[in-house]
Amino acid sequence: MGKVLMKGNEAIAEAAIRAGCLNYFAYPITPQSEVAEYLSRRMPEVGGVFLQGESEVAVSYMIFGAAAAGARVFTTSSSPGISLMSEGVSYIIGAQCPAVFVNIMRGGPGLGGILPSQADYNQATRGIGHGDGHLLVLAPASVQEAVEMVMQAFPLAEKYRNPVMVLGDGLIGQMMEPVEFPDHLKTEPSDKDDWATTGMDTRKSDKRNLVRSLFLDPVQLNENNLALKRKYEQMKKEEVRFEQYNTDSDYKVLIVSYGTMSRVCKTAIDMLGEQGFAVGLVRPLTVFPFPEEAVNKAAAKKGCEAVLSVEMSMGQMVDDIERSVRGSCPVHWYGKCGGEVPTPEEVIEAVKQLM
Amino acid sequence: MDLRLAGIVIICGNYGCGKTEIAINLAIDQKRKGSQVAVADLDLVNPYFRTREARKILAAFDVDLVLPPKQYLRADLPILDSRVAGMIRRPSGLRILDVGGEDVGATVLSSLADSFQGQAVEMLQVINPFRPHTDSVEGCLAVREKIQRASRLKVTGLVGNPNLINETGPEHILEGYRFMEAVAEASGLPLVFITVPSGLAGRMDLTGINCPVLPITRQLVPPWEKAGPI
Repeated sequence: MGKVLMKGNEAIAEAAIRAGCLNYFAYPITPQSEVAEYLSRRMPEVGGVFLQGESEVAVSYMIFGAAAAGARVFTTSSSPGISLMSEGVSYIIGAQCPAVFVNIMRGGPGLGGILPSQADYNQATRGIGHGDGHLLVLAPASVQEAVEMVMQAFPLAEKYRNPVMVLGDGLIGQMMEPVEFPDHLKTEPSDKDDWATTGMDTRKSDKRNLVRSLFLDPVQLNENNLALKRKYEQMKKEEVRFEQYNTDSDYKVLIVSYGTMSRVCKTAIDMLGEQGFAVGLVRPLTVFPFPEEAVNKAAAKKGCEAVLSVEMSMGQMVDDIERSVRGSCPVHWYGKCGGEVPTPEEVIEAVKQLM
Repeated sequence: MDLRLAGIVIICGNYGCGKTEIAINLAIDQKRKGSQVAVADLDLVNPYFRTREARKILAAFDVDLVLPPKQYLRADLPILDSRVAGMIRRPSGLRILDVGGEDVGATVLSSLADSFQGQAVEMLQVINPFRPHTDSVEGCLAVREKIQRASRLKVTGLVGNPNLINETGPEHILEGYRFMEAVAEASGLPLVFITVPSGLAGRMDLTGINCPVLPITRQLVPPWEKAGPI
């Protein structure tokens, strides 16, 4: 199949179907509503289910129910909707079920705005809800990457029996780019019998499965949290992904930026290069786990004098960068989070102030 | 073949088919050819990549742009300015209406039905065969049907907008043109024009194309790209 021109939201929807996900529960919110619109047409064609919940809270428990029964399931929303889902996400983490959440971020706090933002960084990387939980968080920078990450998200969620989030900003959802779809995923989770409530009729053993996040026994609850912790340690070892740009030669300033913001930074870096200024970039593709070692090494490189976090939030990523840089050079921030995406010229100005 | 349009021209089609880029480029093209041109941004559906993003370039070409009041420019509210009806009733000049996607977007037209009375109205369906839902002749006819039902107006002509944005090559234009001929035949509607990216128009052989061509210079670009000089 050749390339097609798709809006990010449409491409995310199609990618989920090609990943074998036939269960979609959602509630509309700008700027991700096209996912629901697309799937309201497409799910009946492939024998899948799209059910619009009465709210995002309800949706999060529909996800929990389907995940507990061992089905591939996902939802999409935007910032305020994800906040509403946070309770269910925490339950799903506690009960160790796989599910995929897509957040097409808009401005906040509160109702904020409907234009692009990355202001849910802390929410996404710090587990969203209550308790000692995390999500594995993938951050695409193009429509093609959004497709690939959505398709990877399902097997990752099943590998860890933990929710995976695809974290995009409003632009990822709304912009159009040519895309190509990888082959359908054929893998099904193989260990469902061990934990999912699939029914005794098809079960190979007599063992009854119980899916729960309630552990009244303090020893059991502690053990559950230790099991979660081990999973997050394993993610840090096995799932860190990042891209480097212009880091082969020497540079004075290192930019760390993710999502569509990083594409503005690349344009800025190219323009700075033409002016004789060398600037490198590390782009996290996973924001949890954060590419600590890559950022550490890139910042510790001889000649690097400053690190600049460029994000559409008020410096939420700076903590992760500082933790990675471990004091080898100062970490600065530049960004906007009203909905306007900083221009290459504005990024150049911010870089030059550090030179 | 020279492209000349007059009266009321409604640009409709499914989401992301390129209505707004066409409205902007068409307005400037026709203005350059000496017409008086006004554009109304009637996209009440989607808050991103709307005609209003191109207000500076349209102003530079002295194209009259009718927008919602400033405080509502960034809202996703169904605001229909009364000046749109006024614009439609103007006695002369080309008046382009850029409506939102699909039947949902075209619904706004039914509320303007009174203003259209006694006027020559061209309703052009924009089709990009490289988009989902309009990659088959049947798909294009189904979109037309939905738009006609919602707008209570008839589609009078077709516009081919075959492109993969920055990855568009001559082969896409030619394949798209052939596809549009098939849609024209199946629908009985004329192919009013097709678009070609302006960077390609000078470099490719357009002799096989038997309809007017509108060169397109993208104006609604992501923040890491620059809009081309038009």
